Amino acid sequence: MKTETIAMVLVGGKGSRLRPITEKKAKPAVTFGGKYRLVDFVLSNLANAMINTVGIITQYEPHSLMDYIGLGSSWDLDVSEGGVHFLTPYTDIDGEKWQKGTAHAIRQHLHFVRTHDPKYVLVLSGDHIYKMDYRELIRTHEKKGSDFTIGIFTPDDSLSRYGVLTVDKDGFVERFEEKPKDPAGDYASMGIYLFNRDILEKILADGLDEDFDFGNDIIPKALAEGYSIAAHTFKGYFRDVGTIESLYDANMDLIDHPEQLMLNDYRNLPVYTRSSNLSPHHVISKGGIVDVLVSDGCMIEGNVKRSVLSGNVIVKKNAAVEASLLFEGVVVGEDAHVKNAIVLEDTVILPGTELVFDTPTVIDNKKLWALGGGRDA
Amino acid sequence: MRDLSLVIDATSRGAFEKLTQHRMPGALPFAGKYRLIDFALSNAKNANVTNVAIFPWGNYRSLQDHIGSGKRWNLDRRRDGLFILPPKNMMMPTEDSLTFQRMHEHIEYFKRSPQKYFLFTPASIVWNADLAALVEEHVASQAEVSEVRTERGRILTFIMSREFLMKRIEEYDIIPYKTLSDLVDRDERIKVNTIFHTGYARMVTNPVNYLAANLDMLKFEIGRTVFPLEAPIVSKEKTAPPARYLPGNEVEDTLVASGCLIQGSIKESVVSRDVIIKKDARIENSFLMNNVVVEEGAIIKHAVLDKETVVKRDTLVEGTPHHPYVTEKRQVVTDHSGLSVLHVAAEAHPFVKTGGLADVIEGLSRAQSKKGIETAVVLPLYKSIKDTYSETYQYVTTETFEFRGETEKIRVYQIQRDKVRFFFIEHFRFFEREETYGYEDDCLRFAFFAFSVARILTKIGPFDLLHLHDWHTGLLPGLLQGEKDAPPTLMTIHNIDYQGICPREHLEGIYPPLGQKTNVNFLEEGINTATKLATVSPTYRDELRYEYYGKNLTEALLKRDRDFYGVLNGISKKLHPTNDSLIAAPYDIASLEKKRLNKRALQKRMRLSPGDDKFVIGMVSRITEQKGFPILIDCLKSFLAEHADVEFVLLGQGDEEFIDRLEAIAKEHPRRMRLNIGYDAAIPNEIYAGADAFLMPSRVEPCGLSQMIAMRYGTVPIVRKTGGLADSVTDFDPVTKKGNGFTFFHYDAHVLKERLKDAHRVFKDQKEDWVGIMRQAMQADFSLERQAQKILEIYQSILSD
Repeated sequence: MKTETIAMVLVGGKGSRLRPITEKKAKPAVTFGGKYRLVDFVLSNLANAMINTVGIITQYEPHSLMDYIGLGSSWDLDVSEGGVHFLTPYTDIDGEKWQKGTAHAIRQHLHFVRTHDPKYVLVLSGDHIYKMDYRELIRTHEKKGSDFTIGIFTPDDSLSRYGVLTVDKDGFVERFEEKPKDPAGDYASMGIYLFNRDILEKILADGLDEDFDFGNDIIPKALAEGYSIAAHTFKGYFRDVGTIESLYDANMDLIDHPEQLMLNDYRNLPVYTRSSNLSPHHVISKGGIVDVLVSDGCMIEGNVKRSVLSGNVIVKKNAAVEASLLFEGVVVGEDAHVKNAIVLEDTVILPGTELVFDTPTVIDNKKLWALGGGRDA
Repeated sequence: MRDLSLVIDATSRGAFEKLTQHRMPGALPFAGKYRLIDFALSNAKNANVTNVAIFPWGNYRSLQDHIGSGKRWNLDRRRDGLFILPPKNMMMPTEDSLTFQRMHEHIEYFKRSPQKYFLFTPASIVWNADLAALVEEHVASQAEVSEVRTERGRILTFIMSREFLMKRIEEYDIIPYKTLSDLVDRDERIKVNTIFHTGYARMVTNPVNYLAANLDMLKFEIGRTVFPLEAPIVSKEKTAPPARYLPGNEVEDTLVASGCLIQGSIKESVVSRDVIIKKDARIENSFLMNNVVVEEGAIIKHAVLDKETVVKRDTLVEGTPHHPYVTEKRQVVTDHSGLSVLHVAAEAHPFVKTGGLADVIEGLSRAQSKKGIETAVVLPLYKSIKDTYSETYQYVTTETFEFRGETEKIRVYQIQRDKVRFFFIEHFRFFEREETYGYEDDCLRFAFFAFSVARILTKIGPFDLLHLHDWHTGLLPGLLQGEKDAPPTLMTIHNIDYQGICPREHLEGIYPPLGQKTNVNFLEEGINTATKLATVSPTYRDELRYEYYGKNLTEALLKRDRDFYGVLNGISKKLHPTNDSLIAAPYDIASLEKKRLNKRALQKRMRLSPGDDKFVIGMVSRITEQKGFPILIDCLKSFLAEHADVEFVLLGQGDEEFIDRLEAIAKEHPRRMRLNIGYDAAIPNEIYAGADAFLMPSRVEPCGLSQMIAMRYGTVPIVRKTGGLADSVTDFDPVTKKGNGFTFFHYDAHVLKERLKDAHRVFKDQKEDWVGIMRQAMQADFSLERQAQKILEIYQSILSD
């Protein structure tokens, strides 16, 4: 069967505002909800929509991500026709193909699109949190008969963080402005696009210099040149966690509003993640865990409140953890007190350490050493 | 380890009852997110073993589903890989362990596997073993076979070279050893090395040790050796978000898998994926499989809740460590205190008895009423009952109805015994005859009985459930079809051989589901129409799937396979050598030496040569083909000739042909063999108490009660592994000294003789072991309470549907 839709997933984001979480990994590899990585959402959405020819465009710190995704078997994407392909920067006879902007990155890999000869190309970001059925986007696109279609949503926070657009009564984009100071519109772009394949080639082919992306360059240009751009409204939970605060808040949403992302609902759009192969967690002490998400392999003797625990976390006796995110392998020593912290992988908090903050603060072994409550990393 | 092939023995059915109704033991969930077979497969993976064969018995769908291509264990390979090798003969039940014969069926596998060594291990051991180190130790020992075991006991794990193995497989029909353990225990010519596995290893064989092994994982020192980071146990990949702990939860010392939602309290338990524990629910010492829901206020203790079980609000689910409460997949458990049940049967002791059924009805109904179930029994009022009880019973009601064009009138009477109400249906023409059965119109008589019961149900009831027994009651579910508020039915098959077949004209106009049938088979009707079905032992239930046992009803039963249960009958507590006034010297487990006095009394009464050192084999049995007399007669003569200290006592009646042949043997050994043909109620107890061993070489034995009685009397059973015999007797293991008797599987005179010789040898040369077997036999639990509990679990699953 001919592939109808292929997906190009951009995972090169540096996530500079998420430092130091993103110091050694790309943003899509950031831990979320205890046992997920951000990229799980887009990969699961693709699996659920049965789009299994996927190009993953990497650039910044690709190794942990490549390692994590592997052949894509955890998302059932390891099919013989199609499958997951890592598209890395390369050099050819014309010179180095370092990717400059999002659209430029796609252009560098148009040969991949041509190999698969699809009808549609779905361009996605690897670092958004949402459960979406892309088949509905495709249906909108086909119904409107547009040249390309943008996924849009209504954000809870300020529109000026996003690409803001206005839509006419027929559902076509009228105006678009990337991260405007004074937003004049009702909707924000999700940064996901479905292109007719020929349109994509055409738009990317002509007259652009090297550093260009979809928000700043392609959409304004397409509007100016009279392409028809449809909008598909997404009603579910959507987060583009660009900052430490928004990452923290999205994690807390899982505790306070489990009905929003519905991770327990596997019938409609399950979210897959790569199995860590850990045994179930062991709760030893009695009754000290409230409003907490606990992943496999944890061992808990102390008290934990309103927190998210990744795999293999150990909370020792009389330790108290509150309003925190503990990433994989964190050890909280006896009598330690942790509040409002995002504790990164394999951080060891020595017994008796006080780590109490007013706002979410990232902690790792290095920082802990500096604060005097850790051990030599 | 390139040089090693792993052979996983998944042939054992274990004694899991409901838990393995739809899955193999190897596919049983474990510790929240594993299956038992993950341990064997992961041990192989961690040792880089790339050639794994699995020998399953019958239904291995769930196992296949779990393992897939074996990719998770690196077994999806070009060279070698994973092989599932099912039995080739699907017509007969296979032996409960991996025999050389089974291996020979797949000899190509062994021929094609280039590996130098083979390691055999069961599919249901919980352990983390370094297979490479075990093989190295075997090689260093220069033994032909190494057996891996633990301090605690055997785990049936063996290592040997390819040449050694191939020779046994190729000569499987010549060598006297059936299995590897057989070979290791009995072939004195081979050099066997024992390797002790020092870490945790537990073989899981029944619901008791299954629950215990799960709870073992809570102990830190065990969990650490079973799930070390450097040698992980790998399972099929599943998806679930982290577990969520909501306000109000109180969790203490519990393993919790992903996806759970916890609001209630849990203590010392293991909880698998996606379990929901609602507010104020309380769980202790239990194992909950995937997707279990425990509603508000429910209390669960010592239970194994199968997948998707729902425990309704405020329900108490309580087992004990020795009898965990076990649910089945998707069962809804509700509070059923005050449940009322009516047994419909053709006989019940003490009112009328021709066979074992009468004892079962009496014992079960009494045990049920003790459990708080309102229990009643309805019987035809036979002449014999009327003669004895007409002064005692009370009139209940009269009913008049049309039956085959005539107006019939019945009266109903009642007697209460130990809280159980017995109802009797009076009808002169059909029931008041000299004999209970054996009339040409028996089918019509019991059609009338079923018809009458249907008519009086509301007057003597109401009942929540009808428990029907044997073919006599087979028409009742069909007669109730379409009736408003008709209770659901459980039909127990006590023996498939009695079916009750009558021509359609007898039933025209009275039996709605008659259809176009020319003949009506009462038992088959019951099988097709009862809500659920049961039979008298788990093994007999499995056997009935094969035509050899199930005969003409195999297909009907297969169709109902998901609704069909096996529950071993129990025997009364009163059947006990301490309060048996019919034997020479009452005794119990603390005064076992007194059993000798009973042996002397038996020898005297049977005019056998006296002597404590004689090996007295007893039998109390109908003398028929089914009871194994053909193979017994074929080996008895030579066995007696070769062993001068063996004595044989038989009590029973039956086929002349067998009796003649037995008498011919007896004539040759007048002081060593005594036949008592005919029935004398006093003598069975003397045999149960006085014999050393009790023999039942049955070809077919749905449940069998004699072996249970013999065992309670400390008389060691020697039985064929079939039906209830397989479920009540465990074979003596010379290494671990565990076992409460001697068993054999192949229905063959030679095999029987070998087993008799084994028993004789232990009796003569290993006195201490023999006493150990006697003790274990006396301690076996065949209580009616246990039976009543299992039956109640079936009632609950019927009522919650």
